[in-house]
Amino acid sequence: MIFWLKHWLGRAPQLTAPQQQRLDAWRALPRVALDVPLNEARYVVVDVETTGLNLMQDRLISIGAVAVVNGKIDFGDSFYVVLQQQAASEKGNILLHGIGTSEQLDGAPPVEALLSFLEYLGKAPLIAFHVTFDETMIKRALRDHLGFTLKHPWLDLAYVMPGLNPPLARKYRALDDWIGHSGIRIDVRHNALADALATAQLFQVAAVQAAAKHIADMQGLRDLEKAQRWVSSVS
Amino acid sequence: MSMIHSSQLTFFAAHAPFDRMEPAHLLWMIEHMKMGYYAAGEIIVSPEQGAVDRFLVIKQGMVHGEQNVAHASDADTWLELAEGECFPLGALLANRSVASIYRAGADAFCYELPVADFHALIGMSAAFRDFCTRRIANLLEHSKQVIQAQYSNSSVEQQSLASPLSGIIRRAPVTCAPDTPVRQALEVMREQRIGSMIAADADGHPLGILTLHDVRDRIAIPQIDLDQPVINVMSTQLSSLPPQALAHEAALMMAKQGFRHVLVVEHGKLVGLVSEKDLFALQRVGLRQIGSAIRHAETVEMLQQSGADIRRMAHNMMAQGVAPEQLTQFISTFNDLLTARVVELECKASGLVGTPLHDGLCWLALGSEGRFEQTLNTDQDNAILFTVPEGMDAEQVRAKLLPVARRINETLALCDFPLCKGEIMASNPKWCMSLEEWKRAFSAWISGGSPESLLHASIFFDFRALYGAHALADDLRSWLARVAGENSRFLHMMAENALRNRPPLGVVRDFVVGKGNTLDLKLNGITPFVDAARIFSLAAGVTQTNTIQRLRSSAAKMNLHASEIDAWIDALLFIQVLRLRHHDEAHEQGTLDNLIDPEKLNELDRRILKEAFRQARKLQARLALEYHL
Repeated sequence: MIFWLKHWLGRAPQLTAPQQQRLDAWRALPRVALDVPLNEARYVVVDVETTGLNLMQDRLISIGAVAVVNGKIDFGDSFYVVLQQQAASEKGNILLHGIGTSEQLDGAPPVEALLSFLEYLGKAPLIAFHVTFDETMIKRALRDHLGFTLKHPWLDLAYVMPGLNPPLARKYRALDDWIGHSGIRIDVRHNALADALATAQLFQVAAVQAAAKHIADMQGLRDLEKAQRWVSSVS
Repeated sequence: MSMIHSSQLTFFAAHAPFDRMEPAHLLWMIEHMKMGYYAAGEIIVSPEQGAVDRFLVIKQGMVHGEQNVAHASDADTWLELAEGECFPLGALLANRSVASIYRAGADAFCYELPVADFHALIGMSAAFRDFCTRRIANLLEHSKQVIQAQYSNSSVEQQSLASPLSGIIRRAPVTCAPDTPVRQALEVMREQRIGSMIAADADGHPLGILTLHDVRDRIAIPQIDLDQPVINVMSTQLSSLPPQALAHEAALMMAKQGFRHVLVVEHGKLVGLVSEKDLFALQRVGLRQIGSAIRHAETVEMLQQSGADIRRMAHNMMAQGVAPEQLTQFISTFNDLLTARVVELECKASGLVGTPLHDGLCWLALGSEGRFEQTLNTDQDNAILFTVPEGMDAEQVRAKLLPVARRINETLALCDFPLCKGEIMASNPKWCMSLEEWKRAFSAWISGGSPESLLHASIFFDFRALYGAHALADDLRSWLARVAGENSRFLHMMAENALRNRPPLGVVRDFVVGKGNTLDLKLNGITPFVDAARIFSLAAGVTQTNTIQRLRSSAAKMNLHASEIDAWIDALLFIQVLRLRHHDEAHEQGTLDNLIDPEKLNELDRRILKEAFRQARKLQARLALEYHL
């Protein structure tokens, strides 16, 4: 409630001096080039769990992320955090992601949680499936709690996969469809970390498929995504 | 920073050796792991990449190993790795490049641990170290526990000396009236093949017992009148217990009073008889008794009974998880005893004992029996080696020995050693020969090289003396070691022949199966080891016949590494134990063969069997290298 009030009153959130320093240090990091070969760079695949699907009202509960470094998923380079909630989400929502009431209330203070996420991320490009949702949720949390607007390169596998596999574009929409099609087996869904891992595996598949089409870097994939967005908007 | 999701732990918890690792080590491992994706057909590790830089565990998909790297065109898949399997351990441990190309057979995700972390983990986790350095031995450990668990139900029941006598009685007691003539009582005993006869009155009250042992001391030796009433020669001091008494009470009573039988009596009435033999099956160690029973057996029936005891004991030993090497030794030892006793009895019966013919006769065991590798399903493979006494020629000796040999073969068949379909038996005139004749035959096989000579060589080279003039067999053996070892052309042909039998590792499925989706454990599994060990031993001048001993004794001379030898031996023993288990189960159903359906094995056994076949391939590769094939 307090956050909403602050937001409504247009007051910037108060960061402590060390927190502000950490944020500044992150913002000062150099941008990364998008034209390096896919298997010579670090990308972060992310997934979030929220209190619901409403982009304007629902809140971020957890962030899960794994890095794909030089083409390999690096388990030592992964991230998961539950953000402390003022009140736990509804029962139906809890059943979906499995983060219970006490876990939600005991989560990390949002400012700390988000700063550690940024520090983990560095300036590595972000990858997700249906970016709009993850990006909006993360951006809004950053604006509310850290008072800044994230401008970051994202890649949306929800467009890249149909772009790489045009014949399947109409048939497959959801992450589950593509995971199933690629033969990726996951035991748990709707946990941000497990979903990020599955999405990272899907990215590995995409990278191999892209190489066959002579797409060698992030820029190439982003161009493909853009083209596919246009295709889906007109078809 | 690292966050590990519990579902990853679930994967590792389901696969050896990770299921045995301490949670802290497992977490450490996962934190240091990466995951790679390989599309079908993509090379994962190859010799060109130099020293292997990572340890891989297949998360999903399939990986093929391909040999014949030098000739890419005829590259053949020689191993197939599936989910949960690790590679390439040998190259990692030796810090070298791989010898084969590892290629994704289907889209594959692999967990990958950098080589430095792999070595750190070996230092850290005993379970992991044990798995890497004693890979097959370690899997066998797993398997042994599973076997014990499988058998425990049936064996507890069978072995327990705590079961009541009512559950042990095998048949209704055979009784006769006390005034039955001795002759008639003996006839009934022979007809019904029973070891004892009990005299009972009209109400079923037991009055006396006559056992086979008594026959000798009380009837045969004193040469009593066979028409007198049987009660006169019976022992009337009867030991009896009620049906609800426990087996160990009966065992104790027998031990204390020196009786071999305990009557089971309810309300004064005879309801059954429990013999020492009935209790053998219940005793953990009855080996001495079985041995002494064989040595003292006088009839085929008694030997048949001993054969059944051997089988039962083997079953119990399997249930207790006795190591396969001991188990096969046990079976061989007792089969030897039994065979030697049969030969002895027939030699006596034919009046051969005490003649020069008997002194110069040596009964040879061939094939698996010659190698001490018999299972519960072994055809006879035997021969006679003899010296020609003064004043006779070989033909005359043969003419005297063949009828005896024929009876021995037939008696052995009655004792559950089926006659050899290929007529590799002492009663075949071709295989009843003098020392000189045998040397000539071996010389012909060694210089011959036809498929038939090679086949004969593989059977007869494993001979060993089982009864009689052992020195003759030693003579032949040392002569043979010299002659065969010198003939490199012959060894080369033997090696070539051995390599034709490839272990059935599949391209598409795990195994290449034959008719009815089965694998022949003997031909496909055991034979490659046996053949290779025979060639190594001939080349190294080793005179042993046992495959394991041959491998161990040839090692130094053939420059074989101790760890290699151990892995081969473990592999061989595992296949052997599978075979024994298969025979054990099959015997209860009445069919004996070496065919198993790999699909019916549990996952662990299937994996070990694959590993064992892989070891057979390695052994063959070593053989190929040695003989430039």
